[in-house]
Amino acid sequence: MKTLPRDNAMTRRTDRAPVPRALASRALMVGLSLAALAPSASAGDKYAVKAGTVITMNGDPISNGVIVIEGGRIAAVGGADDVKIPWDAVVLDVPELTAFPGFVEAHTSNGMDRPNENVDVAPFLDIRDSIDPVNFYFEDSLRWGITTINVQHGSDCVIGGVGMVVEPHGMTVEELLVRPASGTKMCASPKDGKSRATQAQALRGAFRDLRRHLEELVQEKRDGLDYAHREALYQGRDLTGERAKGRAMTGAAWTVEGLELVPRGEIDEKQEPLLDIVEGNMPVWFECAQPMDVRVALEIARDNGFLENTTLVLGPACWKAADEIAAAGVPVVLGETLVHTERDPVTEEDVETFVPGVFEEKGIPFALSSRSSTTESLWFQAALCVAHGMTREEALAAVTTAPAAMLGLEDRVGSLKPGADGNVVLFSGDPLSVTSFVEYVVLGGELVYDRSKDVRTRHLLEGVQPESSESLDAEPEVEEDPRRKADEDAGDDGEDDD
Amino acid sequence: MWSTLAALALAAATPALPAEDPAPRAEDVAQEPAAADSLTIHAERVYTTGGEVMTDAVVEVSGGKIAGVRPGRSAPRDAVRAAAVTAGMIDLSARLNTRFYSVEQAVEVQPHLDVADSLDLYDPEWRRVARTGVTTVLVNPFDRNVIGGHGAVLKTAGQDDLGARLVEGAKTVIRGAIGTEPSAGNHPAFRRPTDFYSRRPTTRMGVEWEWRKAFFDAVAAQRLPEREFPGADELRAALAGERLLMIQAWATQDIRTAVYLKEEMVREGFGELDLVIDAAAEAWREPALLARSSTAVVLPPFDDDGRVGPDDAFLPWNAARVLVDAGVTVCLSSHGSTGAESTLDRQAGLAMRGGLSFEQALAAVTTDPARILGVEDRVGTVEAGKDADLVLWNGRPFEPTSRVIGVVVGGELVLDPR
Repeated sequence: MKTLPRDNAMTRRTDRAPVPRALASRALMVGLSLAALAPSASAGDKYAVKAGTVITMNGDPISNGVIVIEGGRIAAVGGADDVKIPWDAVVLDVPELTAFPGFVEAHTSNGMDRPNENVDVAPFLDIRDSIDPVNFYFEDSLRWGITTINVQHGSDCVIGGVGMVVEPHGMTVEELLVRPASGTKMCASPKDGKSRATQAQALRGAFRDLRRHLEELVQEKRDGLDYAHREALYQGRDLTGERAKGRAMTGAAWTVEGLELVPRGEIDEKQEPLLDIVEGNMPVWFECAQPMDVRVALEIARDNGFLENTTLVLGPACWKAADEIAAAGVPVVLGETLVHTERDPVTEEDVETFVPGVFEEKGIPFALSSRSSTTESLWFQAALCVAHGMTREEALAAVTTAPAAMLGLEDRVGSLKPGADGNVVLFSGDPLSVTSFVEYVVLGGELVYDRSKDVRTRHLLEGVQPESSESLDAEPEVEEDPRRKADEDAGDDGEDDD
Repeated sequence: MWSTLAALALAAATPALPAEDPAPRAEDVAQEPAAADSLTIHAERVYTTGGEVMTDAVVEVSGGKIAGVRPGRSAPRDAVRAAAVTAGMIDLSARLNTRFYSVEQAVEVQPHLDVADSLDLYDPEWRRVARTGVTTVLVNPFDRNVIGGHGAVLKTAGQDDLGARLVEGAKTVIRGAIGTEPSAGNHPAFRRPTDFYSRRPTTRMGVEWEWRKAFFDAVAAQRLPEREFPGADELRAALAGERLLMIQAWATQDIRTAVYLKEEMVREGFGELDLVIDAAAEAWREPALLARSSTAVVLPPFDDDGRVGPDDAFLPWNAARVLVDAGVTVCLSSHGSTGAESTLDRQAGLAMRGGLSFEQALAAVTTDPARILGVEDRVGTVEAGKDADLVLWNGRPFEPTSRVIGVVVGGELVLDPR
């Protein structure tokens, strides 16, 4: 029996009275302040999901499993006999469905306004200013079981801005937010209008400019000049508290001596984000469309000391650089094309390479990307990997636990385990089957999607049915179309012919 | 040894194969060896016919035909292995090699032109299509004209000889279109210098007018020879039921028009057309009309947003299910697209998502198109005596977790899983 809200599919649940469950006799009295919780307490405090199958991505699947969510985090996962549901939890009892952690999109530029600025080097931009919460992309992500999305700037840049991890539910950016500052975008493939050589030079130049700027700041301080201070005041930057203090530079590859003389607030705000990268405080998502770009990306990362925090975002042909990538020890996000096809120009024969297979074989951690936001999103890409010989576990990991680890969120998303975010997706069958639908999505212990109330999906699935010119059972009605009338005049003859 | 004995026993038990072609031509004999080879395929599941499944079975292929399907207890070591075997898929709306310059644009009604004259069998695209599991295709002329000409039914692989590739016994298909597409390139003379495309029809109703005029004139020409025009005899043959008439109609109003055309021909006493509607995206709105008039439909590929085709027709995912439930014969197609998202196995999977059962989806890509073309005795199922057109899968067919790993066309292994 399901206990569900009656309101719209996509809204948060309204206040509900807690429902005592049959297991109450064995239930623990969880929570210390139950007496303080009036029956109409705010929604989402305790939630439990009972599903026929629970795929945890943290061990074997559980039959007749139970997931208990408290305060937006998973408190317990296990078999029905092992996990006690709090008596005051709202229970989603769906024995016919399969529970799943929800897919994790490691890298995308959807759901935002223009993916890139015109400026070559723009690490000071933040994607929070560009994300559009009502974009259909987020709605569709929810429909297809994607619950965690890393939105980054596009690839038409030298250095782009800072991205963030969101969940696809909410009306404002703040409601969407899972983790800010998930990394800065860089691109080794040329920005529109550049050649590869100038792109590489621009990348090197950006860090050279940073270094020069920092050295200038230090020198000015030593010379007793206060230009930087006045410039900072003019720019209206914060020069109080921590920002008033200097700190020695900590870079793995290079440092500027004497930076402790410079208050952090006086570093140019356009340069400081790059300093964060060099000091190892900001991850980097480095896009490489072609295998030759991998060399440039790794060089920039090594020379500026952020190789450890770099994830490569690859084009389809980049499997050719897999050895180089393996040697560097960086994880990768694979693009939407999983089977790379090269056509011999003479014989017109195709040579096909299954890209994830190459990375799996070389032991490189990889995550998959959606090919579209709907029928070819992460579920489909994982299924395609299985079709090409990958095991189900590996394929599912590439869309759950692997991207979660790349985002530094392995304790929070990608698997159903105690302490993780209370995100559960309920499928009508195997998540990798074309006939399975996402029936419910629970985010942070709240039901945020209910397919039976999803008007758009229903329209797409069943169409809008205007009155057709005849029904299956009734006799044709007289209408104004003269051809219709002629039909009736022909009457029985017409029907006997069939 | 076992396989030899089994083969002998099977040969004794197998009913006589249908009569082969008359004396092969000299050039055919020289290329023969590939088709005459025998092949053994061992699969965990063989989907034979009408939803029947044989588990752990062996399919024997010999001389381009299926010699038999038997239990796989003693499959030879060199057998080709697969998780599942189905009959080769049949696409009624392929567009191989008919490029725009192969569209005759001088005349709107030309039922006599043959698309087979414009096919390039050396194009590697044929092999690519064959490797997606499609073994028989109906190639149609473009829909730039109201009535474009004859389609051609061919195997997607085999000898590079048109005569050998054409499927004998297939119905002759006359192709045309109702809707905006045939008129899209024409314009009235108004405000523009007159050019070749300043001609009728320029609208949907003009297209319908051309259809009715073509049939009326073809019939009238029997009494009034001055009304005769090239292709009129083809239209008369269609009215006599000797041709399959395939009309492309995406939108509801165009589908209705096509069916009303058929009913008008009956009403006028001209004859009954054997009608199939291609790209019938909005057929789900008129299931009763289609069922009543015995009109079969071919659906175009499903779309994420539901909008398909030049008329922005709406194709919901349950379209196939609605039509099948109403008793309409439904086929799935790639509608000329060669992209990976339009392949027949993907369309079958999406049709299942929309509510078709696996058996119904399999029928929609094998037995139903075979029956429409009149070649159901040759292709469409995995049975002894049928052409050896098979698809080998590495899992459950039509699921994205499995894919086509092997394809046999006329006994030749076009895609080898080994």
